[in-house]
Order: sequence, then structure tokens, then C-alpha cells
Amino acid sequence: MIEFINVTKHYPGRRHVLREINLRLPKGEMVLLTGPSGAGKSTLLKLLTRLEDVSHGTLMVGGVDLATLKRRHIPAYRRRVGVVFQDHKLLMDRDVYNNVALTLKVAGVPARQIESRVRAALEKVGLGDRLRELPATLSGGEQQRVGIARAIVHTPEILLADEPTGNLDPALSDEILDLFRDFHRHGTTVLVATHDARQIARLGLPALHLEQGRLHAPKEFS
Amino acid sequence: MNLHLRLDALRNARDTLLQQPLATLLTVLALAIVLALPVGLFTALNNLQLLLGQWRDQAQISLYLHNDASAADVAKLRARIEHSTGVVAVHYISRAQALADFEHSAGMQAAVDVLGENPLPASLVVEINPLAQSSADLDAQVQSWAKEPVVASAQSDLHWVARLQAILALGTRAVWILALLLALGAVLVMGNTIRLHIAQRRDEIDIASLVGATRSFIRRPFLYQGLIQGLLAGALAWAVVAVAILSLQGPVDRLAALYGTHFTLVGLRPEQGLALIAISAFLGWLGSRIAVGRHLDHTFS
Ligand SMILES: Nc1ncnc2c1ncn2[C@@H]1O[C@H](COP(=O)(O)OP(=O)(O)O)[C@@H](O)[C@H]1O
Ligand SMILES: [Mg+2]
Repeated sequence: MIEFINVTKHYPGRRHVLREINLRLPKGEMVLLTGPSGAGKSTLLKLLTRLEDVSHGTLMVGGVDLATLKRRHIPAYRRRVGVVFQDHKLLMDRDVYNNVALTLKVAGVPARQIESRVRAALEKVGLGDRLRELPATLSGGEQQRVGIARAIVHTPEILLADEPTGNLDPALSDEILDLFRDFHRHGTTVLVATHDARQIARLGLPALHLEQGRLHAPKEFS
Repeated sequence: MNLHLRLDALRNARDTLLQQPLATLLTVLALAIVLALPVGLFTALNNLQLLLGQWRDQAQISLYLHNDASAADVAKLRARIEHSTGVVAVHYISRAQALADFEHSAGMQAAVDVLGENPLPASLVVEINPLAQSSADLDAQVQSWAKEPVVASAQSDLHWVARLQAILALGTRAVWILALLLALGAVLVMGNTIRLHIAQRRDEIDIASLVGATRSFIRRPFLYQGLIQGLLAGALAWAVVAVAILSLQGPVDRLAALYGTHFTLVGLRPEQGLALIAISAFLGWLGSRIAVGRHLDHTFS
């Protein structure tokens, strides 16, 4: 369960980017986060990964209060979350396998488990046979799928994606979003930020709409 | 803490260092030179002290004995002096021996003949190591010997001991100051090297942090890099000092021969060498720790 209670966010020296956000997102839901560029979608996701601090209000995720979460507890919290970025943020000097394994290594997973779990994650995204390739040799869609494998290899409770299809053509976008739906079917809570109207219409998923820092959510989530 | 995480970090540090062999070599060399300088000077001072400690001819105290002192009392005093701090040897010079030496050294045969009777007292000649104790303690020691019932008077010229000790104290202090400054330099060199490594790996650090790496997980490879380079630099500095000593022994031999003596230069003892490596590894770790503290912490806000 993700719960925003009167959450406000402003960056130093700037007017409010998010105002009085109230939202209750039950466990296992999949929703889209929509809104024009600059509306605050990335900022909202950064609050959920504790890359940014809440300015005012309460943000609870799975029983953890992110506003008061101690620095030393942030890593353990982040291991419960998976994040996918528009620019995938892969390490270009490491092969596919090691990009994905990083998530497990930082969590201290024993080496013998890492191999089978990384393979399984890459199978899921359809890259089971590309383990030893460098990201630069993959297409944009394939790179994004490596990013997704890295985000789900540790079976997070929550999967966040910030415009994951922003750089992809429509066919590839559909593939990626269908992957997210797969994870959702297996019980993961999924929150995908997008301003792609075509996707929003096609998927028929509930949408949270951000506009000038204010959130407009369907009744069941507010 | 998980051993396999530490081993991973160690491998990671090793790989990073080996990927840039030239940069690593230069850092290690710079550190080794910075360390070899004060260690070399300490070693030189140590050798100087050993050499001066052997300077017995100059460091003698004569205790002139009463003519009526009993042989047993003199033997007792002699035994006590032999066990005192810094005493290298005690020689007993009988009256007859003193007279013979006098005749010999001064060519005073005629004068002695005129005197008829032997005017010289027996004495104990104490050879000391002038650096074994402070000059004040040495003075006090000589005073106490002079007050012994069997001793009529004492003769010593030990002002030079005080001067020598003052000069050595000055030299030691100067080398310490230099050593501290250079240790600081070593920390800065390492800090800067690690800062560059951190900058090179910014992306990796950010992503690791995002997927839940702890602070210590991210720090560890950098700390190990500092430690490893410090370790290597310490070992190299030890080798440099050892080679310097080997190459100086020949000239020292020739110089000593001119003075009719010989002197073996002393290098670092094994435990000193190991201490050098440990200190150097610590300095490398410290430099890296400071860089990591300054350049990594904002990742975790
Ligand atoms: N680190 C930052 N510092 C200051 N302002 C920022 C920062 N990040 C984003 N903003 C501002 O916050 C607003 C929302 O940005 P963002 O959350 O990236 O929106 P979106 O992802 O919906 O395009 C924008 O006006 C942006 O300029
Ligand atoms: Mg954005």
C-alpha cells in the first residue's frame, strides 16, 4: 500500500512542484501516472524512491514512513522497490548479466543464487541468450528490457517506471508495457509515469493525472 | 559482515587498480617516495646515534681512589659501576700502571726519577655510552660515584655530551615534523587519487545506491584501493631504504677504514619495516576515507 497524505514538495528556492497530494494505492494495483511534461511525475516517483525528500506531509509505503525514514534505512527500503528509467541508466562498460546482477550484489545475495536469478529475470524479458553482450550492442527496446530485468530481478513489491517507453516506437512501447502488466499479474504493485496518450487509451488502466502539481485521482484511490 | 561482500569489494578494488596500471604505479611511487624520505632520515639518525654510542675514547670518566682504599671495597664499587646505566666497561688502573702510563705518554722519565716516590693515585676508568641517558642523569651518576668513600675525586669532561644530545634532539624533532608533513602529503595524494576514481564511477555509484547499496558497500572498494596502494607504497619505501643502505655501506667501509675502525650501517628491523607498511596502508586508507566522505555522502540524501 502506498499512501500520500497532504504531501507537498518544493525544490530549494522554487515554488511548489507537488501540492497537497492525497492518494491511497492498494497493494497489487497497476496505475498510470499521466500529465504534461513538467507536471511533477518524475518528482513524485523520486519521493517514492527517497531520491528526494517530502517537504511536508506523510508518505507511507508498505508500512514505512518515508518522511522520517533514517538515512541508514534507505538502502533496505530501496531493495523493496524496482525502478525503470526512460534512459534505462545501464552501465555501458558492463555486460547485460552484470548490469542485472548489480541489484542482487548490493543486497548481499550469495554468488551461486545470483546466476540463476539473473538468468531467470533475463528470460522473463526475452533476453535469456544475450547475457554476455554489452548494452551498446543492443537496440533501444532491448536496452530498456535489460533495465526492467535489473528492476525486477530481486522481486520488488513495487515497480516504478518513469516514461519507460519515451524513447521507443509504438510497437516496442506495447511490448514493454505488456511486460509490466505481466509483473502486475504476479502481484507486484506497478506505477508507470507516461504522457503517451496512445498508451493510456490502449491499456485501459486507471490513471492518476498530475497537472501543475495537483493530483487528480479516480475516486477509489483518494 | 558478509565475507563474500568484502572479497567482492577487494576484487573490485584490485581490478580497478589493474585497469589503470600506469596511474596506480605513479600513485604508489609518489607515496613511496614521500614515505622513504622521512624513514631514510630516521634511519640515518639512528645510525649516527649508534656511531656516537661507540665513541668510547671521548666518553671516559676517571675516578681517582684514596691510597688507603681496600682492594675489596674497590672491587665492590667496580662491580656496582659495571652494572650502572650506559656503562660499557670499567678498567682498574693501579698506581704502578698509572706511573708507567705517565712515563710513557709524557716522556717524563727524568721527572719521575726526581720525585723518587710514586705520586699518582690508582683509578677506575669508566667507559660510557654518551647517549644511553640524558646528560643531566649522567652528571648525577658521576656525582654519586664521586661521593663514594673510596673515591678521592672524579674527573670528567662531559659538556660535549649535553651538546651532542641537544643536536640529536633537534635533528630528531626536525625529522618528525618533516614526517608529519609528508604523512599529510601522502593522505592528500591518496585522497586526490580516490576522488578521481569516484568521479569516474559516478554512474555506477548512483545506480548501485538506487538499487539499494548501503554506504559501506559503496565505500568499501575505494577504501580497499587506498589500503592496497598504501600497502604497496610502504613495501616499496622499505625496499628503497634497504637499497640505499646497501649502496652506502661500501663508502662507509672505506671511510671507517681511514679512522682504523669499522661500522655496519643498520637498516629497518623487520618489525620496523612491517610497521612502516602498516602506517602506510593506514595513510592510504585514511586519504581514501576522507575522499569518500567528501564525495560520496551526498549520494545518499
Ligand atoms: N532537482 C530539481 N531542482 C529544481 N527543480 C526541479 C528539479 N527537478 C525537477 N524540477 C522542476 O520541477 C517541476 C516538475 O518536474 P518533473 O517532476 O521532472 O516533471 P515531469 O516528470 O512531470 O516532467 C519542473 O518545473 C522542473 O523544472
Ligand atoms: Mg519526468
